[in-house]
Amino acid sequence: MPATARERPFLEPAYCKGCLRCVEVCPKDCITPGTAVYPGTGLIPVELRLDACNGCGLCIAACPEPFGLRTQSETAHVEHAAQEYLLQDPTELFGSKIVEGSPIRERPAKAIPLQECAPLVLKGTYASAIGAVLAGCRHVFGYPITPSTEGAELMAKMLPKLGGSFVQAVSEVAAVNMMYGAGAAGVPSMTFTSSPGFSLMLEGISYMIGAEVPGVFVNVMRGGPGLGNIGPEQADIKLACRGLGHGNTHALVLAPSTPQEMLDLTMEAFALSFRYRNPVVILGDGYLGQMTGAVRLPSRMFRPGLPSWCVWGDRAHRTNLICSIMLAEPDLEAHNLRLNAKYAAICAEEQRADAYRCEDARVLVIACNTPSRMAKGAVEAAREHGIAAGLLRPITLWPFPIDALKELLPHVEHIIVVEASPGQLEDEMRLALSHAGIQPPPITSVRRLGGMLPQQAEILAGIRESQEVRV
Amino acid sequence: MSTFYDHFERHGKGLANRVTHYCPGCGHGLAHRDLAAAIDELGVQDRTVLISPVGCSVFAYYYFDVGNTQAAHGRAPAVALGHKLANPDAVVISYQGDGDLASIGLAETISIAQLGIPITVIFINNGIYGMTGGQMAPTSLVGQKTSTSPEGRDSAMGQPLRVAELIAQLDGPVYVERVALYDARQRTKARKAIAKALRLQVEGRGYAFVEVLSECPTHLKVTPDAAEAWIRTQMEPVFPLGVKKDSMVEPWFRRPPPSFDAETVLALSGAEPTQDRAEGPARRHRLGARGRSLKLAGAGGDGAQTAALLLARAAIAEGFDATHIPSYGPESRGGTSYADVNIAEEEVLNPSAAEPDVLVAFNAPSLARFASTVPEGGLILYDSTVITEPGELPERRRVLGVPFTGIAVGLKQPMVKNLVALGALQAASAILPAPRILGALREVLKHKRAALPVNEAAFAAGQAAVAQARA
Repeated sequence: MPATARERPFLEPAYCKGCLRCVEVCPKDCITPGTAVYPGTGLIPVELRLDACNGCGLCIAACPEPFGLRTQSETAHVEHAAQEYLLQDPTELFGSKIVEGSPIRERPAKAIPLQECAPLVLKGTYASAIGAVLAGCRHVFGYPITPSTEGAELMAKMLPKLGGSFVQAVSEVAAVNMMYGAGAAGVPSMTFTSSPGFSLMLEGISYMIGAEVPGVFVNVMRGGPGLGNIGPEQADIKLACRGLGHGNTHALVLAPSTPQEMLDLTMEAFALSFRYRNPVVILGDGYLGQMTGAVRLPSRMFRPGLPSWCVWGDRAHRTNLICSIMLAEPDLEAHNLRLNAKYAAICAEEQRADAYRCEDARVLVIACNTPSRMAKGAVEAAREHGIAAGLLRPITLWPFPIDALKELLPHVEHIIVVEASPGQLEDEMRLALSHAGIQPPPITSVRRLGGMLPQQAEILAGIRESQEVRV
Repeated sequence: MSTFYDHFERHGKGLANRVTHYCPGCGHGLAHRDLAAAIDELGVQDRTVLISPVGCSVFAYYYFDVGNTQAAHGRAPAVALGHKLANPDAVVISYQGDGDLASIGLAETISIAQLGIPITVIFINNGIYGMTGGQMAPTSLVGQKTSTSPEGRDSAMGQPLRVAELIAQLDGPVYVERVALYDARQRTKARKAIAKALRLQVEGRGYAFVEVLSECPTHLKVTPDAAEAWIRTQMEPVFPLGVKKDSMVEPWFRRPPPSFDAETVLALSGAEPTQDRAEGPARRHRLGARGRSLKLAGAGGDGAQTAALLLARAAIAEGFDATHIPSYGPESRGGTSYADVNIAEEEVLNPSAAEPDVLVAFNAPSLARFASTVPEGGLILYDSTVITEPGELPERRRVLGVPFTGIAVGLKQPMVKNLVALGALQAASAILPAPRILGALREVLKHKRAALPVNEAAFAAGQAAVAQARA
């Protein structure tokens, strides 16, 4: 609205708050503080006497209200109705403005076939980075932290050649919010971090969950609390499963155990993240991040689509809003109930576990990440000793694969939870058992802390001990 | 004024649905009008993405008929950057208040300004916290009474932060100006500044920042005209108005669309389609059910990790499963550097080498530390150039001293001592056939062909040294 318009101002008194910023600016003293309370608003609008008005427009430029003082031509259609205006609703008088916009369309993701390749020899973080690129991720935001940094380094190398962006953010706090922005725009984004950095990202993850923004977090867990060390620990299970920032939050938590799974589960994480419009967390341990192993590439990669809900920056998506604030309590309750329904659907649909020699197992070992490999060796060794042991390896930690566990329990006499944490995996299992109303057999544990992993011999000892306890 | 919604839904239906939630006389409304006018003039409504912050303008999305994303407190610039990189054609505006931009989000503010990527930041500085109810802001004046500086702000509570000047001395931004709204002249300048800041982004010229000294009559506890006067007489002397930076920059910000070309992705991943592989099929040298566990230990720079990686690659090419886990001291050079390698016919269970079948020690501390972990029947190889007195080593292990360093120095390339070690290891253990290891070496050096002969010579010399020792 050019201030130079030589048109006289018009004011709908309902839109005036009586701030008087227009009064002082008028060189002809046309505007005076009002004297009467306007019944619709309880405020006192200014009064206009425009006999002396020369249309300088200064009052219009001084008015903070978008629909406050405007030129008469802008409101020309109002004038004839001005007399009876007080009693009428402008919507009824003039109708709603038609918001132009083509219908919001979703562009689906596209699979692109890949040639068969010889297996790669990759460390876990690299495998995850390549998995992300294959899943269509071209936007990575991160802050260096051992032992996850190599993933970011590889992205910094690859993405510029793929028309993508890697940004080394000022902190993990900034990184997660860049993900929030990219995710809000509907594009897949990710970060590599490790425990202390993951702590810093929790605020942003809560916002992403609240605003239903997808994104993938690879947390290569290290020793804690505090700065801890860079050894492998699994002590962020509680954080990822129960503590994703403030409020009613949950995210799928995937636990790979090999570099191959770092790739496979990263690819899957992107699909899940967009399917549920929710962040997905990949929990690796320090060994897995650094460990080099054989990795086979899948037979196809993906070009991501563009979802209908995103704030992309075009006409088709202009009316969208990404937001986690809902001031009216009933609105926020309804939103949370919707989130709960989503969580319930995830729990019902997305439990994943790998069962090894479980068919007839009487001693069931539960372990994930690298410790599950040692546990597998221990199960083998126990079988050689004539103990019917099996390994159930949760691949989703949230939701805990309770359905798979439930199926095995009729023949299981003892459960041993093996973990490099003070019992956080066991807590997830016990909570899941409790919610399912299952009375479990005796549960014991083999735990190491501080960057030490349970070794095969310790796990085997635990298995053998469970037999003695029973006798 | 099409950029404003015709009705502000926050207030529901009725007469009041065309006024903002801002208090009478608040500067936000004026800044909103300026921003809307700029969007209109540039014709970019469809492409605009507005990031609303936490603060009084948290509900900016009620007013602007553009793509809207609402951010966490202080994180709006990070969210804006995520949007801009996701869709470089979007016109992204980060609209923030003083608590958001200059306090909790200062790190994001400065770091993202320094990136220089074209986004537009509108900074509403009213010297006080509005939404939370009149607390001290980083821009509150010395002596200013607020609810958290009830006796007036003293210098120990921090002196007002001049953000425009702070941003202007960065290299990233192209345009920084501080404007005010307290009279007609300032309002005209403010409108022009905001329009220019937006235009610079639309033209791809760079990051622009406009600080707006804005009235908060409610929390200054004065009338709107007194608030204007306060800005003019109290605030302006501390926050001088004017252009702080205005660089002439040609349009530069262009990003190619992301690539989803399968061949490029495979090449960047280091994958080679199977038919392109020079090597023949896996041969399956026998290892036995337990596989092999190796530890290569030395100092950073010894090449233990490279040698370990070559072993893992060779084993995988042989058709085995293999893992490599590095562990380092905190120093980048000269600290400890240990590599655990495990090779198995089917699946490596324990990827660590707590009891290695083979120890390769590059220095005396490594030999002393790990020799005792090698079980009976195992092999200990050490660098006899460096370790002249190996001391007492456990019995019933094969112990071989080979002058890794001496041989490498003889080849005029001390850095290849790790290949000497590998050659010795191959000859002494026959864990893998020599051509496999050399194949892995060629693979790793495929872009550094010139380095191949000396590495091959080192490997052969290591083999020969062991043969000679046997003879």
